[in-house]
Amino acid sequence: MLESLPAKFREYGLDADVRTLLIFRKAMQKGLVKTLGDVYNVLKGIVVKDPQMLGPFIRAYYQYFLNIDIQNGDRLDDAIARSDTFQKWKEDLFEKSDKFRKLDLEDLIEKFLDDVHLTSYDIKEIISGKDIFDNDNPDLEDNQGNSSIETPRNLLDRMADYSDLSLEELLERLEKIKAQQKDKHSGGSHWIGTGGVSPYGHGGAAKNGIRVGGSGGGKMARKVLGDRNFYPVDIDSLLNDNNIDAALASLKGIIEDTAHDKLDVPQTIKKGIKRGGLFIPELEKITDEKLQVMLLIDNGGYSMSPYIRNVQKLFRKMKTRFAHDMKVFYFHNIMYDELYTDAQRMKPISIQKFLKNDPNYKVFIIGDAAMSPYELNKWSMDSLMGIQKKFKNVAWLNPEPYRYWSSTYTINVIRKIIDMYQLTPRGIEKAVQSMNVK
Amino acid sequence: MAETSYWTGSKKYLCNKELAQAFHMSRTLGMPLLVEGEPGTGKTELPLQYAADLGLELFVYPVGSKSNVEQFVARFDHVKYLRDSQIEILNAQREEKGMSTKLTTGGRDTEKLQDYVIKGPAAKAFSTPNAVLLIDEIDKAPREFPNDLLYALSHRKFVMPESGEVIEVSEENMPAIIITSNREQELPTAFKGRCIYHYIHFPEEATMREIIQKHHPKVEVKVLDVALDMFYHLRNIGLERAPTTREILNWLKYIKQFASDESIEKIKKLEGLGVLVKTQTDLEKVQRSILSNPRDFKKRSTPN
Repeated sequence: MLESLPAKFREYGLDADVRTLLIFRKAMQKGLVKTLGDVYNVLKGIVVKDPQMLGPFIRAYYQYFLNIDIQNGDRLDDAIARSDTFQKWKEDLFEKSDKFRKLDLEDLIEKFLDDVHLTSYDIKEIISGKDIFDNDNPDLEDNQGNSSIETPRNLLDRMADYSDLSLEELLERLEKIKAQQKDKHSGGSHWIGTGGVSPYGHGGAAKNGIRVGGSGGGKMARKVLGDRNFYPVDIDSLLNDNNIDAALASLKGIIEDTAHDKLDVPQTIKKGIKRGGLFIPELEKITDEKLQVMLLIDNGGYSMSPYIRNVQKLFRKMKTRFAHDMKVFYFHNIMYDELYTDAQRMKPISIQKFLKNDPNYKVFIIGDAAMSPYELNKWSMDSLMGIQKKFKNVAWLNPEPYRYWSSTYTINVIRKIIDMYQLTPRGIEKAVQSMNVK
Repeated sequence: MAETSYWTGSKKYLCNKELAQAFHMSRTLGMPLLVEGEPGTGKTELPLQYAADLGLELFVYPVGSKSNVEQFVARFDHVKYLRDSQIEILNAQREEKGMSTKLTTGGRDTEKLQDYVIKGPAAKAFSTPNAVLLIDEIDKAPREFPNDLLYALSHRKFVMPESGEVIEVSEENMPAIIITSNREQELPTAFKGRCIYHYIHFPEEATMREIIQKHHPKVEVKVLDVALDMFYHLRNIGLERAPTTREILNWLKYIKQFASDESIEKIKKLEGLGVLVKTQTDLEKVQRSILSNPRDFKKRSTPN
C-alpha cells in the first residue's frame, strides 16, 4: 500500500524511502493516523527535515493525496478552486445542505482547507469542548437532568468510531481515497473528513453547530506557498543572499588533521595499575580541524561587480563561524606579478611574497577569467603556474554561466592550469570535494 | 508504559498546536523530536515545562563544541579508581606494620568497577521510567557527535565503560527525547531521518499576545497593543538580529513596573531598547528609522 509514495515524493526533491513508509505504518498502528489531516501531520514530521522542504512537501501532498496540482508561483486557493477534487467536494456539500450554497468561493475554500487538515486532535478537542460546554450550562442541568451527560456520548456515537478498524483496512481506505481523485466519474465521494480514512464524521460535528476549525494546517499551507523561505534554494543558480548558507554547508568540508600528542591519563592509570603501581605516561594523538583559506578576488571588471559583495559575505560568514585563518587579496582581470591586499588595489604585494605563504592554504580564486588575450602574457602565466605549483589546493570559481566557458579563449587557457568551477553552491561543493580528496 | 498523552501546554507555557502534535507523535513512536526555529521561540522551554507540568524527571545535556558521547552516556572515573587502588596498597602496608589507622575509599570498592562509572544524562534517563531527556543546541557539537548519538539512541541500549553493565530500555519505556538546534550547522541526513522534525515558526501577533498574557497577566491591553505594534515593527525593518519572544518578554518585565500611561510613553521612546536590540548596527538603524522619525511610526501604529 502506498508503495508509490516515496517515488512521487522524491520527484519533489523530498527525502522519502522505504523507511518513510515503515514509520508511517508504525504511526498508523499506534493510532496516530485517522484523518487526512493526520496523514499530512505525520508525513510532515517524517519527511520534512528542513523548513525549506515544507513548500515542496505541501505540493507533493496535495498532488499525491488530493490530485491538486500546485504550479510554481500558484496560490493555494487558485490551485484548489480549479481542481476537480474541489468541484466534487462542493457538489457533495451542496447535496448535504442547501445552506452551504450561500457561501462564497472564499468561504468554501476555507471550509475545504479545514476539512482537509482536520486532525483527530481537533476532533478530540471538539468532543471535549462540547463536554465542558454541556457541563457548564446550568439551564441544561435543571431542565434536562441526565441528558446533559448523554449528549457528548451521543455525539461520539454519531461520529462513528472506527478505532477498531484494522491497519490493513485503514490503508485500504487511504488507497481508495487516492484512487477516487484520479477517477473523475466516481461520483458522490464522501471522503474528505467523512467517508475517507476519517473514523469520525466531520459533518456530524458541524451539524451540531460547532465550528470545526482545522489545526491551522491549511492556513500554514497557504502561507508557505507564497513564501520563498519554504522552498529549497536552487543549488545550481548563482550565489545570492539566499543560497549563501547552502554554499557554506559544503565549504565546511575543508578539514585538515594536524596531529599532536597529549598525555592519556586513563590509559596511564590503567596500565600503571597493571604494572603494580609503576606509572609510565601513555600518549594519545589529538587531531584538530585546521582551516586556512585564501581568497583572491577579481574586483576590477564591470562583469564581476554584482558578485563581489556576496562572495565576501560568504567568506566573512565562514570566518566568523569558524574563526580560522583567512586572507583576502584582490586583482584586476588577472594577477601579473602583483596582488593587492585592499579592495581599492592601492597596497600591492608581490607574487613572490605571496607565494611564501603556507602551502597548506586552500586558495579560492574568484573571477570571470574573461579578458583580452594579450593579458595572458609571461607574467600572468608565470603567476598562475606559480600559485598552482605552490599550493596543494587551488580552485577557480567563475560566476560566468558554464555554457559560455568554451567560447571564451582566456577561460579555456586558465582552466588548463587551474581547476575551474562555477560560482554556485554546487560548484563550490565540487571544488571543496576535490580539495578534500587531495 | 511511556507517557504518551497529548500535552498542549501548561499555565505558563503556550504550546503551539502543531508543536504539541509533533511532540505527541514523537513520544508515541518512541523517536526523538528535533526542534528547530529562531532563537527565543521556546524550543528549550518545551521539555522543561512538560516535565514540570507532569512531574516527570528531567535530564538535560547542554551540547558544546567539546561534547562527546562519553559525557552524554557515561564515563569511567580513572582518577578515583587510581586513588582507591593506591589507598588499598597503602592500607595493606600499614596493616603489615601493625598500624590500625586506615584511609577510607568512601564506600567504593576497586573490585566493583561500576562504583567508578559516572553516568551521564542519557544513562540516567534510560534507567528512569517516563523520563524527559533534553539535548540542547546540538548544532554546537563537533561534526561526529550527532552520528555517535544516533547510534546510541537507536539501539536503546548503553554498555557502561569498563564495568560492562548494560542499561537497556524497551521501546515502550523510551524517555521523551527532545533535541534542539539553532541551525548553525547542518545536521547529517541520517540523523535527521531518525527524528521527528518540527520547525517552530515565529508566532503571529494573536499568539504572541497569548504568550505574553501567560507570562505577564497584569499588563494592560492598551500597553500591550503599543508594545506589540512596536515589536513587530522592529522585526520588519530588517535588523541583523530581529528581536524574538524572549526579548519582548524581558522588555515588558521592565515596562510593566510603570503606570500604564507612563509605560506607553516609554515604549514609544523605546526605553530599555538594549533588551530588544542587541547589536550596534541594529541600534543605529532603529534610531534612524524610528526615533528620528516618530511621526511616521505613529501613523502606522494607530489602528486602521
